Amino acid sequence: MSRRRAFVAAALALTVVAAAVAGTSLGGAKKHHGASGTVVLSGWAANPDELKLLKQVIRGFQKTYPQIKVDYQPITGDYVATMLAKFSARQPPDVFYIDSNVFLDWVTQGLLDPLDSYAAASKFSSKPFFPSLLNGFKYKGKIYGYPKDWSPLAMEVNTALAAKAGVNPAKIKTWNDLTAAAKKLKPVMGGDAKPICLNPSWDRALAFVYQNGGSFLNPSKTKSTIDSPAAAAAMNYYVGLVKQGLADIPAKLSVGWCGEALGKQKAAIIFEGNWLFPFMASTFPDVQFVTERMIMNKQHGNLAFTVSYSMAKDSKNKPAAWQLIRYLVSKPGMKTWTSKGLALPSRSDVPPVAGRSAFLQDAPAAHPWQFAPRFSQVIDTANNDLSAVIEGKKSVSDMLKHIQDTANSTLGH
Amino acid sequence: MAGGDVPTEKGFVPPAEAPLVPPSPPAVEELAFAGEAAAGVLAGIPGRTGVERTRTIVVYTLLGAIALVYFVPFLWTISTSLKSLPETEQFNLLPHHPTLHAYHDVLTTFHFLRYAANSAGLAATVTVLNVFLCSLGGYAFARLRFPGREVLFMAVLATLMIPDQLRLVPIFVKFSQWHLLGHYHAYVLIKLASAAQLFLMRQYFLTIPRDLEEAAKLDGAGYFKTFWKVMLPLAGPAIAAVAILEFEGTWNDFFWPLIIFTTAPSHFTLPVGIFSFVTTYQTQWPQLMAGSAIAIAPIAVIYLFFQRYFVAGVASAGVKG
Amino acid sequence: MAATATTSSATGARSIGGERLKETLVGYGFIAGPMLVYGLLFFYPIAYSIYISRYDWGALGKISSRGSGNYRDLLHDHRFGLAVKNGLKFTIGFAVFSMALGLFVAVVVNNAVRARTFFRSAYYFPSIASSAAITAIALFVLSADGIFNKLTGLHHAWFGESGTALWAIVGLNSWTTSGTVMLFYLAYLQAIPTEVYEAAAIDGAGAWRTFWKVTFPLLKPGHFFVSTLLVIGGLKMFDQAFIASGGSGGPNNSTLVPVLYLYRVAFYDVRFGYAAAIGLALMLLMFTLTLIQRLTFGRAEAA
Repeated sequence: MSRRRAFVAAALALTVVAAAVAGTSLGGAKKHHGASGTVVLSGWAANPDELKLLKQVIRGFQKTYPQIKVDYQPITGDYVATMLAKFSARQPPDVFYIDSNVFLDWVTQGLLDPLDSYAAASKFSSKPFFPSLLNGFKYKGKIYGYPKDWSPLAMEVNTALAAKAGVNPAKIKTWNDLTAAAKKLKPVMGGDAKPICLNPSWDRALAFVYQNGGSFLNPSKTKSTIDSPAAAAAMNYYVGLVKQGLADIPAKLSVGWCGEALGKQKAAIIFEGNWLFPFMASTFPDVQFVTERMIMNKQHGNLAFTVSYSMAKDSKNKPAAWQLIRYLVSKPGMKTWTSKGLALPSRSDVPPVAGRSAFLQDAPAAHPWQFAPRFSQVIDTANNDLSAVIEGKKSVSDMLKHIQDTANSTLGH
Repeated sequence: MAGGDVPTEKGFVPPAEAPLVPPSPPAVEELAFAGEAAAGVLAGIPGRTGVERTRTIVVYTLLGAIALVYFVPFLWTISTSLKSLPETEQFNLLPHHPTLHAYHDVLTTFHFLRYAANSAGLAATVTVLNVFLCSLGGYAFARLRFPGREVLFMAVLATLMIPDQLRLVPIFVKFSQWHLLGHYHAYVLIKLASAAQLFLMRQYFLTIPRDLEEAAKLDGAGYFKTFWKVMLPLAGPAIAAVAILEFEGTWNDFFWPLIIFTTAPSHFTLPVGIFSFVTTYQTQWPQLMAGSAIAIAPIAVIYLFFQRYFVAGVASAGVKG
Repeated sequence: MAATATTSSATGARSIGGERLKETLVGYGFIAGPMLVYGLLFFYPIAYSIYISRYDWGALGKISSRGSGNYRDLLHDHRFGLAVKNGLKFTIGFAVFSMALGLFVAVVVNNAVRARTFFRSAYYFPSIASSAAITAIALFVLSADGIFNKLTGLHHAWFGESGTALWAIVGLNSWTTSGTVMLFYLAYLQAIPTEVYEAAAIDGAGAWRTFWKVTFPLLKPGHFFVSTLLVIGGLKMFDQAFIASGGSGGPNNSTLVPVLYLYRVAFYDVRFGYAAAIGLALMLLMFTLTLIQRLTFGRAEAA
């Protein structure tokens, strides 16, 4: 509570200062933008650190565009379901986050407005954005969102537990290293804690498939390729860690996600992205851990998670919404947003904060976490199958065959 | 309908004549007394035999054991809500360092105060409107003669057969076209006139002797006045049951607030707030238990004072989904 | 005198006709509110549901006509089949457990001489507590390092394993609903005349034997009434599965019950047309089951 209260106080103080600054510089603000009115901005509920940065960016925007009012309305609960309800009710926010994973579902439903004409009119260049990230928000040649940031996965290791077990986290590079380290860690884990926390979901497991030379779809995204020997070996390794008692899933460790497992010392090794840092700093500030490059096997393999700022087709104030998007993903906007290292910048002209080499080294090996329209249902099926395999109710080969069939029938739809 | 006696709670039971409703059990309240007498007979004269004493011991041991099993989760909830997160890992029933921190946290930071206000406001509104509309409608169906009465009443009963959840899609689509989603009045509209309560009121009015009404009519009272001044005061127990059931049902309702208020978090009720907390913060147990306690406590207090109406209304309320 | 009498009877006849009309109008006026609500919010939506079910219907409305395509999809949708299977599994478990528990508690309460009303009220309490709050409590009590495992020495993440999640909800709902079931059984138990017990006592039948040979068969109307309510209630179960799985119906679809699937198709997949078809199919299923139940019990009753 005291942390929170301190944060609120700090935020208030900053608001006052910013307002004063804005007041003095108002006369100097350029008046050439025609946009005005209120813009509603929504995203999933941010943690206090993210909120602080976002408010800071918004204040920067208000300084340049005093005639546009930004109404930030974070969404608690299930983001996708809530947003779809808002679209159906014809009350969407003007500007909002889209995870690359659901982008294709939304754009094919006609919920989003293409941004190319706005960008052209205001001479906004998309060149500085990393193409692989920007491509995640393109559909039929048009841009429907600019990536606000991104993150691949890395390996986070509890320092104290590693030392106790005589494991050097920097030396865990391959699958074999990981198994060996987990075996050494096993005796030092107390109670029902396990050396590794693994998600029973493909947004982690697929990285292992890539590390083994497998893939989910063919390059043209017309066919599923998941039912392959490479994928089978990767999944056998992944599930094998659980079977050998070296790893477990969050539910079995009584935690909501693996980050919490690291915090509660229910696991010593986890695989998460930059979103872990604010969580650990605010919830488990006393737990020390190091971040290492994602492990590899035959090759490096990783997943790229990215989120865009996009505009609703039903937005009532599109010129103002565009100005907000443009500012949020501009060089100064992104610089502020990524200044604390909560995520990596998606523009090449904004340097990441120091100490992110574990992520940056693996960037070339990161595949976008995105597939094809209606694939949220396929991923749903795939995750369910993976749970079943981890529980020993299904074989890896049955799972892969089933996922491939489901994926192919969705692609042929 | 035995002549002139004063109506009691026994009229709450769905009658056999209504073909769409499952057959009725005997009235719960009335039988409580008969049952007590019967048990008295079985138990016999005090201290009759050792067998009786053994039986009494067994019965009360079982009663105690059941009470323990039924209430341990609630005690555990309260206990946890008074702990700090690290202390939840210990299994002590009494917190070592009791704190109201979790309550403060959910009420302010997690908006449960707002949710509670929403729940209370909606439950009160829905209750008042239901009492009025259902007693008015119930009276008309019980007493007034008009063409099509039987058919219309069958239609009312037919709505009881339509599972609420199956109206989900059309209501959501229609409400979004009518720009109703995310508004308090949309929810009130959904709950405006419960068919079960209307049915309950009608059954009750059927048990009230006609003489009183006739007398009012001879005095020159109009229909509404007769209803308002004569019938409604006589229907006190039924109204109390309708009010309490409706308040409880609305306060606890999860489904419709979830559908109607998804797009408007400031309109969340306590149950939806709890769900939203579960999905976002998952294992912050003290806060979650504090939120749950806040959702349960008001109904517990009402129950403490008006239990007989809860029990009396069960016959029409059925099972919760 | 005679003249006045005729006049008054003539106006009387007229006023009876006028009274009739007035009563009719007042009657319609009194029921207008509720009837409007039922028309607008029950009958119209069901009709509209049939209309929607013939389209591919997305977040922004109609996309294209599908004819009976949505219904044909239903036949091949293995997730729908799974949801129905889970729904039936849950319903049977829920009905059996809450009837057994409710009857047990009712019999015990019925044997209490003193404080019976107190115990009856106490045991009924879980039935009126918020389903969302109760589910949240269950999430805590049944978590892997929760008190349930601690007390029983078991080690399951009850809501986190596909083998136990649905059964955890069965247990949870049987617990809360057993209070209601108890109330019904108490009413039926108390309707059994004491002579019956006295006769059994004279025959020298013990308590156990008396229960199975005398009490249980005499409760048949009660079994029918309670099971009908439980089956319908069980098929409609949503809150607990939705909250416990965070809306997913997981792990591994194990808590994907029919209404939850309907919700997911509508709000996660945004296929309102298909969701409407699922809704209508479920309504049909519920009617059929109720009918079957009525027929079987009806026949048993007649025999």
